[in-house]
Amino acid sequence: MDLRVPSGWFFTLVGLILIGMGVFAPHMGAAPLTTDNVNLYSGACMLVFGLFLLLMAWRAARQEKGSIP
Amino acid sequence: MKLASVDYVILALYFAFVLGIGWRLRKRISSSGDFLMSGRSVPVWITSLAFIAANLGAVELIGMAASGAKYGIMTAHFYWLGAIPAMLFMGIFMMPFYYGSKARSVPEYLKMRFDEKTRAFNAFSFAVMTIFSSGISMYALGLLLHLVLGWSFDVSVLASAAIVLAYTFLGGLTSAIYNEVLQFLLIVMGFAPLAILSVNKAGGWQGMVARLPPNMTHAWSYMGSPTENPMGVEIFGMVAGLGFVLSFGYWCTNFLVVQRAMAADSMSAARRTPLIGTLPKMFLPFIVIMPGIAALVLSKMNLGYNFPLKATGGPDYDQALTTLMAQFYPAGLLGVGMTGLMASFMSGMAGNVTAFNTVFTYDIYQSYIRPGAPDRHYLTVGRVTTVAGVLLSIAAAYLATRYNNIMDLLQLVFGCVNAPLFATFLLGMFWKRTTAHGAFSGLTLGTLAAVLTLSSTTAEGKGGWIANLYTFPSQMAQNFWIAIIAFSTCLVISVAVSMFTTPRTDKDMEGLVYGLTKVPHDATAKWYQRPAPLTVIVVILLLILNIWFR
Repeated sequence: MDLRVPSGWFFTLVGLILIGMGVFAPHMGAAPLTTDNVNLYSGACMLVFGLFLLLMAWRAARQEKGSIP
Repeated sequence: MKLASVDYVILALYFAFVLGIGWRLRKRISSSGDFLMSGRSVPVWITSLAFIAANLGAVELIGMAASGAKYGIMTAHFYWLGAIPAMLFMGIFMMPFYYGSKARSVPEYLKMRFDEKTRAFNAFSFAVMTIFSSGISMYALGLLLHLVLGWSFDVSVLASAAIVLAYTFLGGLTSAIYNEVLQFLLIVMGFAPLAILSVNKAGGWQGMVARLPPNMTHAWSYMGSPTENPMGVEIFGMVAGLGFVLSFGYWCTNFLVVQRAMAADSMSAARRTPLIGTLPKMFLPFIVIMPGIAALVLSKMNLGYNFPLKATGGPDYDQALTTLMAQFYPAGLLGVGMTGLMASFMSGMAGNVTAFNTVFTYDIYQSYIRPGAPDRHYLTVGRVTTVAGVLLSIAAAYLATRYNNIMDLLQLVFGCVNAPLFATFLLGMFWKRTTAHGAFSGLTLGTLAAVLTLSSTTAEGKGGWIANLYTFPSQMAQNFWIAIIAFSTCLVISVAVSMFTTPRTDKDMEGLVYGLTKVPHDATAKWYQRPAPLTVIVVILLLILNIWFR
């Protein structure tokens, strides 16, 4: 099992949840010391990171397939 | 602090992935080696992250933020002076002997190099230590969840133990390692926003420097005398105690971390495991220590954030991290942060349990209880030991609720266990004249010296049960000096006894000692796969960090 696959999916899903929170409920449980949309920014970072891991795993899987004729 | 339903969704999602990884890995296990040593087949980027993740339990996570608030940027010495040089030494000089000897554990190496009694001493003390460490970690988790979220202590402890048991039982060491890496990524992704937000709010690094006394924001400048810096340590105690003995002892001889490197798929990968690990490790202080310092600054800025206090008065540094999360994280990211905390508690426990079952199965059961059985038998023993390890940890956690002070004491003792052991390894690996009797007497007397020093000196009202011969300015100073004394005792006694006893022949020690082992030169490998260029890069970065925050 390539660990990048489950990790990638996990961060993609969490990223999407956080982006959803940031877009649809930006004021829910808002934190006292910040006015930034923390969920949206962090969620976007996690989504990008998750997709990056999935891309790396996909490339590795394709290369492995290619090397075995 | 109260979690919203979205936080629970994220928490549940994480545990689903953790258990899923264990479930998928169960098919890879057909021998005791697969279960206890990952069949030596884990890719190097995973072993590298696991190598540092095994040490990034929640006790460390909360402790580093707490120390940041208490001691300032000097806390970074645990990384920039301690861990990184030790990890480099481990990869370059010690790994060839560990991996090359084909030993399955640290105690087994001691058996190969020295004799049965040295192994037995290390195996038993290590087994006891892992169980108590894992119990203390569970206790801390239960306490924290009760304090912060109002959850029941029993439910927190039992549920987390059940999850750890499930995935380590299914997938063994591989499962523990994979989940440590997932947890590590979660910690970084979950706590980096906190570091960025809190440091920004505190006015950036420059703003923090302006608002704090200078000895909180300089790592080296105030180390001339113990009275000048918040840690109460002078430069010799810091460099020799923390930088050399404690850090090298921990990173080079603690089987919990060594085991991660030994799971790598080749000698070259095993050597690169700690070397590659230093790169992310070096920058962790920005995520784990900075928020603690920022919390202190924020509490002085009249923003409505007060530094958490203990019920008895006085600052409660351990709550710096969680109170900061409540200030900056909305529902959603708060769930990610809390999940990260819980995950790090559990992976700390899983790390201890997987190290415990290997040492028990190979070094105690196979050596003293039932040698020579077919491998299938040891696989079963490994699995049963995993269950027993978790149950014993739970027992230790409940013991901690009853005898709080004993646990404090144990943590102090564990802090010193690796100090004499490092002297034993240093001599064993680099001086072929060292004899088994020398190693054993040095190790036992060195450990005894540590316990005696602890019980005859005090610091911050702790220690000194036998007598109070000396009072240290801080517990840190006491810790560092105990390590120095234990290490020196072990070194001197081992050398002295070795001179009067007969050494083994060179032929017996091939692959175990420097000079009798072919150290691999990966001259044909690409530059980034060779230890030397990697080390140069790490050292340059390390110097820059130390000078920057001097």
